[in-house]
Amino acid sequence: MPADSPDKVIDRSAKLVFSFFLSSAGLWLLTAALLAYVAAAKLTDPFFLASYEFLTYGKIKVAQANAFVYGWGGNSIFAVSLWILARLSQAEVRGSVFLVVAGVIWNLAITFGLLGIMDGHMSGHEMLEMPTEVWPAMLISYLIITFLALVIHRSRQVRETIAPQWFILAALLWFPALFLIAWNGLEINPARGTLQTVLSMWYGQSLVWLWLTPVALGAAYYLIPAILGRTIDKYYLAIFGFWCIAALAPWSVVHHLEGGPVPMWIPAVGTVMSIAMVFPIAVASTNFHATAFLDIGKVWDSLPLRFVIFGTLSYTVSSYIGVVFSLPAVAKITQFTIINEFHFNQRVYGFFSMIIFGAVYFALPRITGREIPKAAKSFHFWTSTLGVLMLLLAYLIGGLTHGVLAGQPSLPWSSSVIQSIQPYFLITKFAFIILAFSQFVFVVNVWRVIFPNPFVYFSANNKEASV
Amino acid sequence: MNNLAKFTIGIFFTLGMAWLAFVVGARSQFGDLVPTSEVLDDDGLVPEDAELFPVAISGMAKQGAEEYAALGCVTCHTQQVRRVEAGFDVERGWGKRPSAPRDYVLQEHVLLGNSRIGPDLANVGLRNYSDEWLHQHLFEPQSIFPSSLCPPSPFLYQQIDEPVITDIKIVSNEVTKETRYVRPTVRANRLVAYLQALKQDYELPEVSFVETEDVSVEEEDVVSTDVSTVSVSAPKWLQDQIDTGKEIYMKASPGGGMCFACHQQNGEGLAGQFPPLAGSDWVLGSKERLIKISMYGLMGEIEVNGVKYNNVMAPPGIPPGSLTDDQIANVLTYIRNDWGNSASAVSAEEVATVRASLKGRAPMQMFTSAELTTPIQ
Repeated sequence: MPADSPDKVIDRSAKLVFSFFLSSAGLWLLTAALLAYVAAAKLTDPFFLASYEFLTYGKIKVAQANAFVYGWGGNSIFAVSLWILARLSQAEVRGSVFLVVAGVIWNLAITFGLLGIMDGHMSGHEMLEMPTEVWPAMLISYLIITFLALVIHRSRQVRETIAPQWFILAALLWFPALFLIAWNGLEINPARGTLQTVLSMWYGQSLVWLWLTPVALGAAYYLIPAILGRTIDKYYLAIFGFWCIAALAPWSVVHHLEGGPVPMWIPAVGTVMSIAMVFPIAVASTNFHATAFLDIGKVWDSLPLRFVIFGTLSYTVSSYIGVVFSLPAVAKITQFTIINEFHFNQRVYGFFSMIIFGAVYFALPRITGREIPKAAKSFHFWTSTLGVLMLLLAYLIGGLTHGVLAGQPSLPWSSSVIQSIQPYFLITKFAFIILAFSQFVFVVNVWRVIFPNPFVYFSANNKEASV
Repeated sequence: MNNLAKFTIGIFFTLGMAWLAFVVGARSQFGDLVPTSEVLDDDGLVPEDAELFPVAISGMAKQGAEEYAALGCVTCHTQQVRRVEAGFDVERGWGKRPSAPRDYVLQEHVLLGNSRIGPDLANVGLRNYSDEWLHQHLFEPQSIFPSSLCPPSPFLYQQIDEPVITDIKIVSNEVTKETRYVRPTVRANRLVAYLQALKQDYELPEVSFVETEDVSVEEEDVVSTDVSTVSVSAPKWLQDQIDTGKEIYMKASPGGGMCFACHQQNGEGLAGQFPPLAGSDWVLGSKERLIKISMYGLMGEIEVNGVKYNNVMAPPGIPPGSLTDDQIANVLTYIRNDWGNSASAVSAEEVATVRASLKGRAPMQMFTSAELTTPIQ
């Protein structure tokens, strides 16, 4: 019997951690899908479950975003980052027990945080709505996981680092910095007046740009060459793209404050930097797509890669749309409309989640040694694609309608402006049903591989180890 | 890129630059704003004895802000009027002027928001909505705006069967026209106090009111201004009942009650002949007795405010005994709330209940005082 290849050894070391984070991520994904459905249903029928205070729209909507970003986003970031770092460092994952304990704390913190939101302890700061009591637990568990990720990276065999490592490490390190800055400025040493809003908006938007986005880009930089078996085309641009994102993204996010009660330089700087973001977007998109289109047939055949390329295309398109919408003349119409939902869902579903799905489908068979049926993956891909496109088109067209009608002061608000966008809410409700179904299929796919026979998991595990 | 320490310094440096600008820089620029007067004197100083703006909101309104934050109202409502060149907010009548950073310095929760599925609320307190209107809107927005997507908040109210003057009448805007009365909880009252306190109705040295040719009033708002003018003293539903009741009281043709003929327009009655209604212990007392008298009339001796009367009161109405449940409810509500009287309203449902309990009674069989004062088993 041949000795196990180094990759096999690494995969085995990551098995417990990867399975743990991924199965929790799956549960959060389903939680978020359920909450998303309830929120969408409330926008089509305001009387739906109206008598339950903890399910009122404002709370459900916020709980959904938090469950999605911290629950699904956080856990899947841990799973994918740890595995990719281990693979690229050719080093085993160490301290699995600590990782799992930290993961349990993270998940408990979010659970209590969401319950706190529903119980009426929402803080009112964007993407930091969870009650402050759970923030320390989140930060500590996060730091443990990041520390162990850095341990893997430090024990790497090859000194030279490549793009996926930059993006993933930067994301892992940026999050606690952002979190501490926001915590300090909002709670410990709270700012007065609209400074609070500048800070919470900067945090909330940076979370997407400096945490979710780089992990997904890093995963794409790893998966595309790994699956296609060729190097990234024009790879020398990647370093430029990375530093552009690092330098520009934290400035660009504040353009959402256009026209508001803050000094004018803040949104102005944001707009200029958003426009400058075309450079990193162009770099990433050139790197990914120039490489992928050299071998497009193979991309289509490999489901993980199909997910990844869907995500990178979505990233390119959404980012360019974001640049256009940051121009003051356009923002005048689109600001405060449901186009915000378009941006958020484009980023977290269309881009981040799709790439994570691809990464999971690539990694899971290698880690567990069990293959996921192609039909199940394909079904997941098509339902996701349908759901995402439906959702985004509804929010985009609905958002433009919303903005144009709101800009005509003679039209009464609810009986004209809001009524005109109601059909789009109905479409989003169906889109969320499709997405929930699709995500359920994903979770079943994952769980069936992680727990092929849930009642004899440990014995099966032992048998495999002894072979 | 290969040295983790240098790499970390690099990425924190880029993040730190933005932090310096948006957190440290912004804080040093406008972190120490304080309330000021509407205009400064020639030296750029606040004139002595000038009123300072913004003013702090009441304690109740502050508690209301907590409720507003906890319920997630900020998910759909902004509280910022954009600059004129950046949006339509002033044109839409959402404020007299753009909001300025100084407007928010006294607020504990700054809830600017970034989504407008509902209208902006920075100046909701300036829109002449009555407290009652706001309660109706909180309880069931669709009873006011049928196409509103705002979630109803029935959990902030208590359903009431016997309404008093401070209760809120809700008429569902559906086909059923179902009528309910609800009593606001303390949380609902806080929330309303907060909404009424939201107003930027003063100028600041850095921003003045925007001149508009005609202040555009939204179609939807017209209804509400209307409501608020009448409901200065009483809520609209009560005022409606009182007004209709007065008509019946004064009307001497079919469909009327012709009550004034005996009890007089001023409700004082006629000494020795007809008892007064103003300040009457009967009128302000049991509703059930009043309803019974209004259906069947009254004969024989009766003591009102310690004075005895002996006369016949035919069943009111033209023709006698013809008043409907609604009419009885209205006219009784009227006599309980005019000439200095103030007592709870009578609803048509209450009248119907009494009518049902007297099902076997022959028509026109007048009550006697004794029958009404003896407790009925």
